[in-house]
Amino acid sequence: MAINEPTNATHWSEKLQSVPKPVIFGILLLFSTVPLFFPVQLPNKPIDASIDFYAQAMKIPDGGKIILCSDWTNSTRGESKGEMEALLRILMRKHIKFVLLSIGDVQAPQVAKDTIREVSDEEVAKGGTAYKEFEDFVNLGYYAAAEGTILAINNKVLSVAQGKKDFPVGAGPKDALLSPVFSGIKTVSDFNMFILVTASSTNRTILERITNCPMMYMVTGVMVPENTSYYASGQLKGLCGGVKGVFDLENLMEYGINNPGPHEIESEKYKGESIPGWPGKTNTGKGTAYYFALHFALALLVVAVAIGNLGMFVAKRRSK
Amino acid sequence: MNLLAQVDPKTFWNAPNSSAELYVKLSLALLFGIGLAIGLMFAPPQMRKMVIFTVTFVSGLFYVLFWLFPAPINRQPSDAPRGPIEGLSFWISDSQSVVASLTNVISGFLIGLGIYSLLRVHLGKIAKQQKDWFFSAVLVTCLCLMVFFGYADWKQRLDPQNFILADPKNWGFINYGRDLLFDGLLQNMDAGMFSIVAFYIMSAAYRAFRARSVEATILLVTALIVILSLMGVVELMWGGVMDGISKENDGLKALAES
Amino acid sequence: MDYNLLKQFVAVIATVGLYSVLYKENKFYRFWEHVFMGLASGWGLVALWTEVLKSGWWDKMFGATASDGNGAAMGYWMYIILLPVGLMGYTVFSKKHNWMSRIPIGIILGLYSGQQFSAWMTYYGPLFTASMKPVLPNTSEFWKANPPVTGTVYGSEALTNLISLLTVLTVLTYFLFSFDVKSKVLKASSTTGRWLLMIGFGAIFGSTVMMRFTLLIDRMYFIWIEFVKQGLLHMK
Repeated sequence: MAINEPTNATHWSEKLQSVPKPVIFGILLLFSTVPLFFPVQLPNKPIDASIDFYAQAMKIPDGGKIILCSDWTNSTRGESKGEMEALLRILMRKHIKFVLLSIGDVQAPQVAKDTIREVSDEEVAKGGTAYKEFEDFVNLGYYAAAEGTILAINNKVLSVAQGKKDFPVGAGPKDALLSPVFSGIKTVSDFNMFILVTASSTNRTILERITNCPMMYMVTGVMVPENTSYYASGQLKGLCGGVKGVFDLENLMEYGINNPGPHEIESEKYKGESIPGWPGKTNTGKGTAYYFALHFALALLVVAVAIGNLGMFVAKRRSK
Repeated sequence: MNLLAQVDPKTFWNAPNSSAELYVKLSLALLFGIGLAIGLMFAPPQMRKMVIFTVTFVSGLFYVLFWLFPAPINRQPSDAPRGPIEGLSFWISDSQSVVASLTNVISGFLIGLGIYSLLRVHLGKIAKQQKDWFFSAVLVTCLCLMVFFGYADWKQRLDPQNFILADPKNWGFINYGRDLLFDGLLQNMDAGMFSIVAFYIMSAAYRAFRARSVEATILLVTALIVILSLMGVVELMWGGVMDGISKENDGLKALAES
Repeated sequence: MDYNLLKQFVAVIATVGLYSVLYKENKFYRFWEHVFMGLASGWGLVALWTEVLKSGWWDKMFGATASDGNGAAMGYWMYIILLPVGLMGYTVFSKKHNWMSRIPIGIILGLYSGQQFSAWMTYYGPLFTASMKPVLPNTSEFWKANPPVTGTVYGSEALTNLISLLTVLTVLTYFLFSFDVKSKVLKASSTTGRWLLMIGFGAIFGSTVMMRFTLLIDRMYFIWIEFVKQGLLHMK
């Protein structure tokens, strides 16, 4: 992994193609860091997939129940934690109860619990109610055999929770099936939605096996092209992808859909409906914090590729 | 449901908790399992392939039957099978969750295999004092620290009296230790490791992303378009231009029609 | 020192240690790399028992008596057989008996393979039907009306669907490797398919770049904003 020193370039076209690695790394560090000190609220037009995600989440009735499969860890904190925080804010404000489980990584359950605690504390600080473990959400933990577990959820959801224990506030461990989250649940179709927050291939595992419950995904940027085809075919009701998706959600949480105003977000699909946001509440998070700096980093990449190709073309013409 | 009563009916396959019957059956089953494993160790080579093939085939056959065999529709908990075919159908449907549970356990043991292998390599390095054995010692030390604090923290939380540990204000040394190792070190290093790739992507895109052929040019142009579309400001400007052209076209169309 | 500040400080040192590999491979980086591997495998061991084996195997095997509001549960003694079966996986290190490690792996693979029949249909079925869209318009209007009339295939929609169908077919012809492609039509189709695949790869690259840069920006945010600005300098 040692730095390769550039060869002796004489003509400017050769020098353009051989900028030393430390310089490239240093410029990238600068472009990723400096904009963070100057937060700017950028204009944005949410994409259809994000609008659908938000609209479908808002259509879950208040007090409804969902299954939340959290398969991310801090390795993709930049995107996945932003997605999880935005989703949890929506769920907590609508008092939607959820069953939390993980099939992708042994670290995922602890990371998810920490994030839930942080968002709950944030909501309490702003006058909301705390989200209590066992009462408002039940944590089923990690399942090593993803395929069998998801198939069992589709066929006999209560069997998956058998033997699992969770920790109610103010009491010792209790059988997860005794949680109010499971009250009235007989099959997976009794849940309003199955939402997956992932950075790995568990999206495919779930898509192949869940047939009795509508699904929505929150994925990292690298998985967006693949999952867009599932969204286009109707297998997913909504898709939130990457930091752009997070930023879209944060905008939608602030302005809603088809709500008249200076920042109205229009949607042809939901024409005639007005889906509210939560103006004035904490809606911005990692999406807003990182999006401005991302512009600079991406612009740097475009410029770097352009410079490299310019150098190549000029060098080619010289050699002819 | 009377939660204080036994949940499952008593059958041959189960026994009450802490009962002599349970311990006897457990011991016999364990002896059987060990005997089976020892027996397999002495299996002739010609038989080995057949054993693996049979185990794999039977495992696969279960899910194929689960998919193909007619499944009960609108089955109620009080329904009983009316014949052997329905009996098999009920059994397959009921067994799937048990099979999933068994798979979880076997997968769990196989996850331990990776950690065992890692320990084997690094403990061997320390014992033989091979090159860079110090780093192996660091690895094993951190592993032991995480196991100690992680397990101790979990054990503390299991105690019904320790529900106050849900609030970080009530944490003790063990809880802070687990949090420092997991959240402070492991999670942040996880993020750090993955973020290093950004530098290499930048360097590789600058040095290698060249329009040398038709395919490379198409890939390059598409990537640049997608990157530009990810910038909200650029997308909004482009959308504004498109809306402007569209409105102009509508105006011209209306003029032509009038 | 405040505990949260200490936690952040340790995390920053570890992150800088990992970033030192960007200059060149060094002992400082290797130290933190091994710390990371040790902690990750240690947590794996903890979670293996607390998340998987304790509730999924041990408690099911021994059952429970009713206590603290939890119901009683019977002990299913056959679960003990999973111990020798699971431990067979560890015979992979034995020269004589390593064939036995294929037994638990065979169980997992067999179960996974058996699921693939229905999983494949559930996964690809909707993608197939979504790809089959009408390519002939049933109205003389080219542009889509606002609001669109249900059941009408406008000219612009038909053109989009035709491009989509041609993309699917040409990309499929690219993967015909089992015979020599001599026909000019198939060769042209295969080349077009390859070019269209490049469009997909370009989109994947663009999205990957966004993700990786976001991870870097997140680390810089943690170091400079959360630790330095908010932690050390107490600025908001």
